[in-house]
Amino acid sequence: MKIRIEENLCMGHGRCYDLAPEVFAADEAGHGLVVCDRVPLALADKARLAEQNCPEAAIFIEDK
Amino acid sequence: MKKTKGDTREFDLYSPEMARCPQPIYAEMRNTCPVARSTSFGTVTLSRHEDVAAALRNPEVFSSDMDIALALGTERPMIPQQIDPPEQTRYRRLLDPLFSSKRIALLESPIRAHACELIDHVIEAGECEFDKDFAVPLPCTAFLILMGLPEADLDLFLELKDGIIRPPVAKEDFAGAIEYRKKTGQRIYATFEALIDEKIEHPADDVMSELLQAEFEGRALSRNELLDICYLLFLGGLDTVTASLGCSIAHFAANDADRQLIVDDPTRIPAALEELLRWETPVTVVPRLAKRDFEVAGEMVRKDDLVMMLLGAANTDENAFENADSVDLGRTANRHMAFGAGPHRCLGSHMARLELRIGIEEWHRRIPHYAIKTGETPIYSPAIREVTYLPLVWPVSGERA
Repeated sequence: MKIRIEENLCMGHGRCYDLAPEVFAADEAGHGLVVCDRVPLALADKARLAEQNCPEAAIFIEDK
Repeated sequence: MKKTKGDTREFDLYSPEMARCPQPIYAEMRNTCPVARSTSFGTVTLSRHEDVAAALRNPEVFSSDMDIALALGTERPMIPQQIDPPEQTRYRRLLDPLFSSKRIALLESPIRAHACELIDHVIEAGECEFDKDFAVPLPCTAFLILMGLPEADLDLFLELKDGIIRPPVAKEDFAGAIEYRKKTGQRIYATFEALIDEKIEHPADDVMSELLQAEFEGRALSRNELLDICYLLFLGGLDTVTASLGCSIAHFAANDADRQLIVDDPTRIPAALEELLRWETPVTVVPRLAKRDFEVAGEMVRKDDLVMMLLGAANTDENAFENADSVDLGRTANRHMAFGAGPHRCLGSHMARLELRIGIEEWHRRIPHYAIKTGETPIYSPAIREVTYLPLVWPVSGERA
């Protein structure tokens, strides 16, 4: 699974790194960053949870 | 222009029904009149998730720069809430790092200590009025901690806050309310003037000192900029967190199974709070000013319309949430907009979440079983959905429940 944050849409709500800190981190301003190139299977559910809780719908799962 | 029926509806944000139970009214707004024009209030209200989200993300049409600012006693727009991008973006670049979740996490232990103190004051009595005894003082003290201000100022700040939020005039006396807010606003500016002077003399490790030392566009922030930021931080962080704490505790007091769920497993508190933020949406509405004619859901919003974004209705929209009408503390997909959306996303959202989590954790750790006092009914306020009267009782040690 690959995951991507659309930078222009991210407003720094921080739900992604709160819910899935293994997959996302915060930059200095609190915007989300993806920290793993490929999301390991064990973390797929957490990555999906983050995607489903982003108020800006700024997270995109590229292949399932 | 398209002709459509049902364009006009006298939606009253301040009606007693809205205060008591807004969710059915939200549903009616979405289903019968998603773009509702009120002739008596001179506003257009958007209520569907899709429309509200799109408008909040479109500041070029839906501006935050509006005269309504004066209603909060200010002389100038609050920074950055009442200014538009791109200027707003530059201020957010300065402020966002100061309010990031990592920075705010440093406040966890002093805020927790204060929450414990508040509980110490009431726990042996076996009863309290939750709003006055916990929900109001916790965020106000958290604000003082954040800014590095003395705790002795708590009563002064509470009084100033009430002067803006609830001016002591008759409900219909709009002119009197504006006048009282203006006077209070002057006192708020004067208070922060003095505190800024004090911080210049004695800088410390706090947000106020950092703002004083900050470099903005190659210069220091001006005195007015500092005041306009402080005014917002003060107003933004107090009644909203108070409201969320009260709504959450009122829900748990009335729903034993939900309360037991978080008492048995406190790790479920963060998700539970997100669901209650969605369902109760303490900031029920945020205003914008239309910069030009713009079509929303087949209706025309006109240039200079005051457009009310009904966040509470957006957050209970069945087209955006599965089983939108039920409170599900285990909800997994929850794109609620209780903290807004788009470039004006609540600057204090990370701080609010921290205060809420700590408040709810500590309360249930110390007082896991409680109920609304027999014969009493909680009272909710409209617009900012605060439970202004929430009498609770619980068994005290030595007593049987």
